[in-house]
Amino acid sequence: MHLLLLGVSHRTAPVELRERVDFARRGVAAAHEALAARPGLAETVVLSTCNRSEVYVACARPEETAAELARFMAAFHEVPDAELEPHVFRLVDGEVASHLFRVAAGLDSLVVGEPQILGQVKEAYAAATAGRRTGPLLNRLFHASFTVGKRVRSQTGLGEGAVSVSYAAVSLARKIFGDLSGLNVLILGAGEMAKLTAIHLQAQNVRKVVVASRTLQSAELLASRIGGEAIEWSAVDAGLAGSAIVITATGATTPVLTRDRIRAAMRRRGDHPLFVIDIALPRDVEPGAGELDQVFLYNIDDLRAIVHENLARRAAELERAEAIVSQEVAQYEQWLRSRGAVPTVVALRRRFEDIRLAELERLEGKLSGLPPEAKERVDEITHLIVEKLLLTPTEQLKAAHDEKAVVTYSDVLNRLFGLGAADTGRRCEAREDGDKDEDPGSSGGGSAS
Amino acid sequence: MPFLTFAFYVASAAAYAAHFARRDRRSGQLATALLVAATVAHTFLIGMARMQAGYMPVVGTTAAISFFVWLLALAYLYTEITTEERAMGAFITPLLALLQLIPALDAGAPGARPAVLESPLFAVHVSSVLFAYASFALACMIGVTYVLLFKEIKAKHLGFFYARLPSLQVLDKMNMRAVRIGWTFLTIGVVIGAVWALTADVKASSDPRAQAMSVLDPKIFVALVSWALYSFQLLARRAMRWGARRSAWLSAIGFVVVLLNFLPVGYFLTKSHNF
Repeated sequence: MHLLLLGVSHRTAPVELRERVDFARRGVAAAHEALAARPGLAETVVLSTCNRSEVYVACARPEETAAELARFMAAFHEVPDAELEPHVFRLVDGEVASHLFRVAAGLDSLVVGEPQILGQVKEAYAAATAGRRTGPLLNRLFHASFTVGKRVRSQTGLGEGAVSVSYAAVSLARKIFGDLSGLNVLILGAGEMAKLTAIHLQAQNVRKVVVASRTLQSAELLASRIGGEAIEWSAVDAGLAGSAIVITATGATTPVLTRDRIRAAMRRRGDHPLFVIDIALPRDVEPGAGELDQVFLYNIDDLRAIVHENLARRAAELERAEAIVSQEVAQYEQWLRSRGAVPTVVALRRRFEDIRLAELERLEGKLSGLPPEAKERVDEITHLIVEKLLLTPTEQLKAAHDEKAVVTYSDVLNRLFGLGAADTGRRCEAREDGDKDEDPGSSGGGSAS
Repeated sequence: MPFLTFAFYVASAAAYAAHFARRDRRSGQLATALLVAATVAHTFLIGMARMQAGYMPVVGTTAAISFFVWLLALAYLYTEITTEERAMGAFITPLLALLQLIPALDAGAPGARPAVLESPLFAVHVSSVLFAYASFALACMIGVTYVLLFKEIKAKHLGFFYARLPSLQVLDKMNMRAVRIGWTFLTIGVVIGAVWALTADVKASSDPRAQAMSVLDPKIFVALVSWALYSFQLLARRAMRWGARRSAWLSAIGFVVVLLNFLPVGYFLTKSHNF
């Protein structure tokens, strides 16, 4: 069995194409149904976000299945093959694990370290299991990816710090005021940035957003769009005294809020902290106002600097995150390889057990004089000897470093013990599910008394 | 046992520091567990001393320090559990470990209680003053962290403390709450002390320490100074509209005065309280 991944992501395709191949348009369930009808796909998971549309597959023949999947993608999304083909990337086995782990860790995201993606990967997996589309390979793969996501989040600083100007403003406000509910926000001006920051603040349940602009109409327009309240420009001083957060974004050429004006407002508000976010260019607030005791003044450049710093800090954490990914990929690959040895291990054990039973049967006559407990003991001892003999070969087989070694070992064992390839193949199919329970070598010696 | 208690405090200080730097859950839980262990061991220690002596084991500066550390550890644990905020532990536990070093090195068995202290007021006076000091210690550390975080936000350089401390608003609330509680208990302690000193028993005592009970004795004088300082802090906040930053500074400075009174004055200068 092999892993295979066909997909389109923000790295390989423009947004126009990504929109057209978004599985969410027709529903992931429909995609699973369509995939189930195609041949050769033993297990499938469909991962669909606004930045990527990917199909994870476990199959026996990756070459043929890849072609089949490409045809499916084109047909399902009704995009001509020739148009889609240059943007599709294809990965197999270890590459698939590495890719999914990086995705789950947020390393492949547009904004590195963003936290939503892990949830999206979990949803994709849940949808596939609900449709009974996963098996041992993908189950293990996706569970490992959740571990990677969690480890990267808890052991590195990859997801820390705001990486957008609006969110940086919100996180600052939270660091000053703690809980933002119950606070009033005053917006001066009616620009797009003011609106964006106000929307972010509203998500924090602020009590009231008040908008003032040079004309009452434009203030009313913005207020109605964000669910706030418009006030006359002449009422700004009162608004200043009653708000904890002020966002200024007017087009004025001279400072609207002078140091003296803010000082007067601070007196009226009993020296409660005031957070002033000046996102206007040229600036709306006199820089000297930031020196007042409980006034926290940030302009657009300050916020950009914070974002920049946070991005740099995330970049510094990349290496640690990548190390976690490589570690987990190595573990998964090891497991994948050990599965290649399973048929041989099973056949070998079967062979040994057959010999043991045959010998016991042959000696039946000689043993018949023994009391039942002694007979049981003989059975137990012979079983133990077989287990002990098989322990090292089993471990060695499962720990084989590469596919070649597994094949060589299997080949040698087949010849030396006359195991027969057909036999091993059949058993492999039978063992597809729940190979943990029958894991050869792990139950050895359990009956020793 | 005194050394074990001290060792637990040191270990918890190290764990809180590690948690502050790394911010992972496991080191935080370890830190809390170690501090709980230290407090339990310390409770046992104080309980034993109580049994041995037959009275509250707070006679003498060393015993008082041990009792103070115990109260501060309890007060901090209470704050940590109610606010789910471990950052302050990195500031409190080193103080605990440092102060506990004194009783760990000098853990003489409690001797007989001087006759002058044989009064029901003794335990109330000492424990309310010590509890006040513990609250002030907490307020001091909170004040220090407030100033550190305030400076980072003002300087627009969001770094180490920004990522680790709770918001300014929360720190301010915690600070003022600790100061209010501390002020209340200090007032109770001082009033009871004064009433007690004026009773006939003390006045009639031939103990030179009882004779030295006066407002001009260094220990009593500095205690009154710190009471005035904290009273001013509460008043300034309410009536003079002083901001949170100034309150934080006052908390930080106020405890320096308290500590001054506790250690050098308590050991070397006072003539009235050197039991």
